[in-house]
Amino acid sequence: MSPSRNSGLHIKELSVTYKDGQLALGRVNLSVPEHSIYTILGPSGSGKSTLLRTIAGLIKEYQGEILFDGISVHTQEPLIGLVPQSYGLLPWKTVHANINMAMKISHPYRNQRQSQEQQIQHWLAAMGIADLAKRYPLSLSGGQQQRVAIARAFALEPTIMLLDEPFSALDAVTRETIQRLFLENWIAHPATTLFVTHDVEEAILLGEKIIVMPSNKENHQVLIDNDHVFRIKHEDKRDSDDFFQQTKRIRKVIQEQW
Amino acid sequence: MNNKKSHHVLRLLLVFVSMNVIWYIAYVLINHSILPSPLAVYSSMGHLEGKKVWLDVCYSLFRIFAGVLLALTIGMSIGLLMGRSRIWNKLLDPVVYLTYPIPKIALLPVVMLFFGLGETSKILMIMLIVLFQVIISVRDGVKAIPDSTYDVLTSIGASALQKFWHVTLPGALSVILSTIRISLGTAISILFFTEIYGTEHGMGFFIMDAWLRMDYTEMYAGIMLFSLVGFVLFLLVDYLDYRFMKWRN
Ligand SMILES: Nc1ncnc2c1ncn2[C@@H]1O[C@H](COP(=O)(O)OP(=O)(O)OP(=O)(O)O)[C@@H](O)[C@H]1O
Ligand SMILES: [Mg+2]
Repeated sequence: MSPSRNSGLHIKELSVTYKDGQLALGRVNLSVPEHSIYTILGPSGSGKSTLLRTIAGLIKEYQGEILFDGISVHTQEPLIGLVPQSYGLLPWKTVHANINMAMKISHPYRNQRQSQEQQIQHWLAAMGIADLAKRYPLSLSGGQQQRVAIARAFALEPTIMLLDEPFSALDAVTRETIQRLFLENWIAHPATTLFVTHDVEEAILLGEKIIVMPSNKENHQVLIDNDHVFRIKHEDKRDSDDFFQQTKRIRKVIQEQW
Repeated sequence: MNNKKSHHVLRLLLVFVSMNVIWYIAYVLINHSILPSPLAVYSSMGHLEGKKVWLDVCYSLFRIFAGVLLALTIGMSIGLLMGRSRIWNKLLDPVVYLTYPIPKIALLPVVMLFFGLGETSKILMIMLIVLFQVIISVRDGVKAIPDSTYDVLTSIGASALQKFWHVTLPGALSVILSTIRISLGTAISILFFTEIYGTEHGMGFFIMDAWLRMDYTEMYAGIMLFSLVGFVLFLLVDYLDYRFMKWRN
């Protein structure tokens, strides 16, 4: 497949109004090329979750268009790897069963039990939780649950990956570890990815581009190029000059937009 | 863990033994054939003509299982419908609200009028007792599952059946089990009433038959056996709870 003008995720004039008449998301225009990762920054209530939920097919009523490779996601839903803020694990299933079930549902016609088993083992190991396979989610720490949720999303081999403030409940150290693990794995298997965060540093560490949502839903989003920071080796990013400059720049945009 | 369990068993045994001691003291004090000694009752339990008693136990168990199963099937369907659909809840809620407080035992004569004295009315009575509890607890259990629990499944295109199987049913199972536990006691009492008439089999019949023949030792033996069956049923529910609710701790 050669990349065409249509490839990737395209969102045109998307707006969502909830039943109570509340405008949750106003006129979003956004293009994410295939195999890119964009981070989304925005104040509380600016519609970040609503945007992800609409793309994920959880909100069916919206105005505007969401296209993937030129086809509306309404007609042909691409495979979604969703990582909600609350992890979205079923408490009554073990770590292994949670991933296994999601894989079976998303790939109903694939019938190679052995390779599926290998996949699960691979992703558990990749997220550093191989020893947790038989545990139940309620017996895990928040950081461990988040690793499971991310392992599950990767194991689905999704076309689009959507992460909604996945690390916001974690302490700083755990958070850095999981950020690194996530990014390493993403680079090896880059799905088209939207990553919502309210943390400026996280947005700069993980995004090729950064989308800043305005608090006024009539205004347009601001798209900030972050490629030069993204390409720095992850260990060195935080201490780099580019990272520092980018932080300053984004803080300024935020001050104007929020 | 194991230590805790053996302590629990020890406590149960202790209570059981003390109850028998009290019984024995009462037997000595009353000194009348209406209360035989526990030893006599236990030895008569051993001498009950094996097959006949097992047939009675099987009849009773069948009625309980059939009634509970029926109540679960119907109650879960209605409870799920009410828990998942706002319209159905609005429609059925007043019906449940109005019929729930009716003491179901009062319906016994009605059920007998409509369905006769046979098997059907016995099973129906048990079903009626359990049904309303199941409906209400399943509805509330399903409602208590946060919407977000379904999100990941919905996002990967799971069917309604898959969501039911992986989320709704296991999510409501805990309340279903505790409902069964609570209604089982009532169901067994009702069973006793219904087995007094229109049957030659069942534990209720066995006890009342011994009473009519004034064979009090056998009557008490029947009561003990009936209690034992109830106890085993409770253990069964406990086992199910242990088996399916491991994830809670
Ligand atoms: N189910 C709902 N019904 C009605 N309004 C809603 C619902 N969910 C969200 N909203 C409203 O939509 C707007 C956007 O909410 P959303 O959750 O998308 O914001 P967010 O950017 O994710 O915020 P946060 O950073 O706090 O998670 C808010 O004004 C919110 O009150
Ligand atoms: Mg949100």
